Amino acid sequence: MGSRTVVGRSHDPCARVIPLRLKVDTDAIDPYVVRLRSFEGMPQPPDNCGFLDAALETADGETALFAGATGNLRVFGVDPSELDGDIVFVVPSRKTAHRLIRASSPHNTLLITERCDQLCVMCSQPPKKQHVNMFPFFETAVLLAPENSTIGLSGGEPTLFKSELFEFLRETMARRHDIDFHILTNAQHFGRADLAELRDLDLSRILWGVPVYSSAGAIHDQIVGKQGAFEQVRKNLSVLCEAGARIELRTVLMKPNAPGLLDLAKFVAVTLPFTDTWAIMQLENIGYGRQNWGSLFFDSSLGFDLVGKALDFAVSRGINTKLYNFPLCTVPADYRVFAPSTISDWKRAYVADCADCDLRNECGGFFEWHPKAHGYGRFGVA
Amino acid sequence: MTVWPLKFRECGDGEFLLTDDTGGFFLSRQPFLERYAAGELSLVDQEFLRGNGHAFGREGDPDWTAFAYRWAQRQASQQELSYVILVPTLRCNLSCGYCQVSRAPETARGFDWTEATLNATLGFIEAMKGPQIKVEFQGGEPLLRIDLLEKVRSFVRTRFPGSQFVVCTNLQRLGNREWAFLDQEDTFVSTSLDGDQDTHQRQRTHDDLATDTFYKNLAEAVKRLGPGKVSALPTIDVDEPPDFGELVGNFERYGVHSIYLRPINHQGFARRRGSHPSSIAKWNTLHSGFIDYLIERNHRTGGFVEEYYFSQCLRRFLRSGADDHVDLRNPNFFASDYLVIDHDGQFYPTDEARMLSRIGRVDLSIGSVAAGIDQAKVQLLNHASFNNFDPDCIHCAYQPFCGTDVVDDLSRNGRIDLARTDTWFCRRHMSIFDKIVEVIRRSDEAARKSVAKWARVPSWGDHMIPVHA
Repeated sequence: MGSRTVVGRSHDPCARVIPLRLKVDTDAIDPYVVRLRSFEGMPQPPDNCGFLDAALETADGETALFAGATGNLRVFGVDPSELDGDIVFVVPSRKTAHRLIRASSPHNTLLITERCDQLCVMCSQPPKKQHVNMFPFFETAVLLAPENSTIGLSGGEPTLFKSELFEFLRETMARRHDIDFHILTNAQHFGRADLAELRDLDLSRILWGVPVYSSAGAIHDQIVGKQGAFEQVRKNLSVLCEAGARIELRTVLMKPNAPGLLDLAKFVAVTLPFTDTWAIMQLENIGYGRQNWGSLFFDSSLGFDLVGKALDFAVSRGINTKLYNFPLCTVPADYRVFAPSTISDWKRAYVADCADCDLRNECGGFFEWHPKAHGYGRFGVA
Repeated sequence: MTVWPLKFRECGDGEFLLTDDTGGFFLSRQPFLERYAAGELSLVDQEFLRGNGHAFGREGDPDWTAFAYRWAQRQASQQELSYVILVPTLRCNLSCGYCQVSRAPETARGFDWTEATLNATLGFIEAMKGPQIKVEFQGGEPLLRIDLLEKVRSFVRTRFPGSQFVVCTNLQRLGNREWAFLDQEDTFVSTSLDGDQDTHQRQRTHDDLATDTFYKNLAEAVKRLGPGKVSALPTIDVDEPPDFGELVGNFERYGVHSIYLRPINHQGFARRRGSHPSSIAKWNTLHSGFIDYLIERNHRTGGFVEEYYFSQCLRRFLRSGADDHVDLRNPNFFASDYLVIDHDGQFYPTDEARMLSRIGRVDLSIGSVAAGIDQAKVQLLNHASFNNFDPDCIHCAYQPFCGTDVVDDLSRNGRIDLARTDTWFCRRHMSIFDKIVEVIRRSDEAARKSVAKWARVPSWGDHMIPVHA
């Protein structure tokens, strides 16, 4: 994937498939955000082309020239029609443009920071020390985003910059009523003092994705690499509940926490009943997850009982429970209805055994970067 | 640590069911009960109670907040009016022995909506908020006034696109115009099928020709309108119940797997037949036997049939939010999300209230399309429409799962202040919840399979019920 940067989904391995960083040339000096418009088939730019748009002027096989109030931007090696509506962050000194928001994608995530106070054993995006404040650029990007988008905010840990985050949300949500946010946070940094500011936001438009790995504090703390993290997340989920926040609990299934999954289900039903969705997620083979694969990957095709019992319990108590990233054939038939296809088609892959599978159309398959020796002992629909 | 109040009920084999006000529950035994009552909880007890959601450290801590949240979720919240039951005519071409609604003969006059009532009804519907509503046509036999049904549906379709319509019909007389009305994507059929052929004929159709016509039309409706468009329910005479096997077989034949076993209602003409004090005990025995029969049958056939109301109560036992059945929720505010408009334009809070008023027992009308909703009367009824502070219910382990039924109390007893345990409603629900606790504790494969299906979970087992030794 090459060197990583602090913007966009640079960690996103779909970079293999879709270029997220473009080679560009510009006469500007300072970094800026601009929306690219190709307007193909139109005699002239339509009325809604604003001063933050750059319209396609000319294109040949190698380069496309976009021009607008922000200056001229030459983009190399990409078909400009694929860029129409994309919002890019241009760094003139490096001759690069990062595609912050791709108009054709429902999965746009802005990376708030690479810093994190946790160090999860399976982190797909291991943290870094340095931080560059991108909020002003992100704000512009969100204001230009396609209608009715859901924008992901991730990290690192976005709430390490909580006041900036709140300010960013207040500003963008006030100006774009059609946009929703999905914020991934470890929920370590809220407190009762935040209640007023949280309630000030339209919380119906924000889904907070919060990882909880175990109801046993020691196991949770060990997985996230932080003492006391469990007690903190418990307290702060309660604060989010009081604020009226929508919460998606995220539990990556691994060897260390699989045996306690039923206890976690009981904990969710009893202590976190305000959960909107509980996502039990299969491990992604990337970042630390790849490094620690052998000690982490839990073969749920053979040990499904642990998952099944947890799901039975949670569903019976009214918790909307889902299995994410589970190939359908590894899930017993009665449980498949809880395993939606969660891997987007552009980063989805199948293995050779999948060729003639009847379930293929409903199945999310694997992440494209999953090892071909997939690790499931019971695989394929009989 | 503070323990929230627990209520208990013995459930056989020396086990007790304990519940709290949020509907959290577990099973335990006498020694625990004694420790709890004496205030001598052990550390293990305390740890269990905290983990199972029955205790908190201090006000406002996560356990306290979670309890408050679960309690709030247990309460049915008031909804916008979105469902109207319309009675465009009280006339009917059948004369069932137990008629629920005090029908009028087919040729009678003065039992249909007038032009003014139709227009006022449409005006009332027009003022509803939407965006989608549900309209149920009741009777009498509503298809006798297909012209009114057509007018209402076309009006509602224009005003609230995407709305749904249910026609409660006896399926006795269907011409081209009736079939054309029913055979529409947004329109559903609900009918009565009283179990086996003999019972259906005895209770409803009275002669072979009418019975044959009904079954022919039912088959045609299922075939023509498609699966899921036709629902049916049996009305059961506890003194002459149909054969369970034939009843279920009959419903399955027509693609109906969810059967709502209804006792002959105490209102309407049925009331005149009287209600023997022992009839509730008989009903409970019959219903319990039916559940056992379904468990055995589902296991034998590998199929899935449920008793609709039992499944609903089971889901209410397990989780909050199962408030979609208007007969059992708490609080059950009247004239909030649904309303009945009678043949004369009077409003009633429920169909039962309409019947009760019709036989002159008590006037439960709550206004009319001409005069609007009588809020004072609605408030009066609402004062008694929740069980939270009922002096008997507050001691009951089933309180959080249960509800209350003012109209039924009025109907059977003429008053609402009886000891709960003397009411039909209470005795019926005690029996249902006892049965639930019995079947969810069974460890045989047959019971577990049916319970899982009825609870809408993939499988059922010991892991589903918290037990504290």
